[in-house]
Amino acid sequence: MNKELTNENKLIEDIKKTFPSSEVSIQREKRVIVKIKQDTVPPLLSYVKDYLDFNHLSHISCVDWIEQKKFELVFILWSYDQQIQIIAKTLINRDEPKFTTINKLWRQAETYEREIHEMYGVEFVGNDRMGDFLLEDWEDIPPMRRDFNTIQFVKENFNDRSAAREDSKNVRETIAKHSGEEIPEFAKKYSTRNIDE
Amino acid sequence: MLNDKYSQKIVDIIKNYTRKHSLWVVAYGTGCGAIELPPTMTSRYDAERFGIRGSATPRQADVLLITGYLSTKTLKRVIRTYEQMQAPKYVIGFGSCAINGGMYWDSYNTIKSLDQYLPVDVFISGCMPRPETVISGFIKLQEMITDGKANGAEKYKENLDWYRTNQKQVIKNWKMPDYNW
Repeated sequence: MNKELTNENKLIEDIKKTFPSSEVSIQREKRVIVKIKQDTVPPLLSYVKDYLDFNHLSHISCVDWIEQKKFELVFILWSYDQQIQIIAKTLINRDEPKFTTINKLWRQAETYEREIHEMYGVEFVGNDRMGDFLLEDWEDIPPMRRDFNTIQFVKENFNDRSAAREDSKNVRETIAKHSGEEIPEFAKKYSTRNIDE
Repeated sequence: MLNDKYSQKIVDIIKNYTRKHSLWVVAYGTGCGAIELPPTMTSRYDAERFGIRGSATPRQADVLLITGYLSTKTLKRVIRTYEQMQAPKYVIGFGSCAINGGMYWDSYNTIKSLDQYLPVDVFISGCMPRPETVISGFIKLQEMITDGKANGAEKYKENLDWYRTNQKQVIKNWKMPDYNW
């Protein structure tokens, strides 16, 4: 399928002319990826919003590249006129993650920024609602970071039912004992199985 | 009221009979199991023929349904709701998430076994339980009320320290009113 991506190619030209340092590529039809440096993201977003009619901020997301010690912020924009999605990606420092807020451009960015702050610990300078959002009284490191050990956290904070109940080791035998039934012959080989194993 | 044993027994039988036929449920859906309640209450399964119906506020309700998973943030609200309810009160744990965490067994924000935090009278298994199962769980609760076995509220009162310790282990910043027990 060779479709002429005229709109996409024109968009790429516009962005490259205005932001020469950016890497722009077409992922597929209706989808353009812009990789750009951290400090040129707000100018890029306001440029595509004001001059190229990308009115809709669909989402802000975050990726944890722990090996490179970077967070990648992903801004997804949609244009109703051109029917094209722009995905703007930028890498920020993982040790001291800070970024400028864009809630002056789109009000709904505030909610996404609060969520990313809670789940990854990225601080958005200029957003004054960087407090608790979904998690209350969270004291550990942010839970969506890849160095957060979920299973260890669960073991420390919540009691497992298999340890708490004495009859969980062998459910079938316990049920049979309670109701006064005998375990049928074919089922006996399963009933000695230990659940912990 | 006469104080001898036999008349008290008759009073208990009448009291339990009336209690079991008017179970009012708090309309507080905590997890995805709340979606099973509209078909349970409406015309197809018609839970109201057993005296099960919704109530407007926790203070008028008898049954607290924990429908599915419970995040630690919701647990705080649920404890306050439960402590506002007036006796007789019962708790029904609903779905496998309330029993052992279910599919959220390794989640950082969901409690794993409900009966460490609230006194559960009846557990209904399933993910999610269908309306027939829900009604059978309610009938089990009615049988327990008839026999005088549904005494979760008294257990909670007796072992309040144990429940509080478990609750405070999960809810770090404990700012809750102390109710007059």
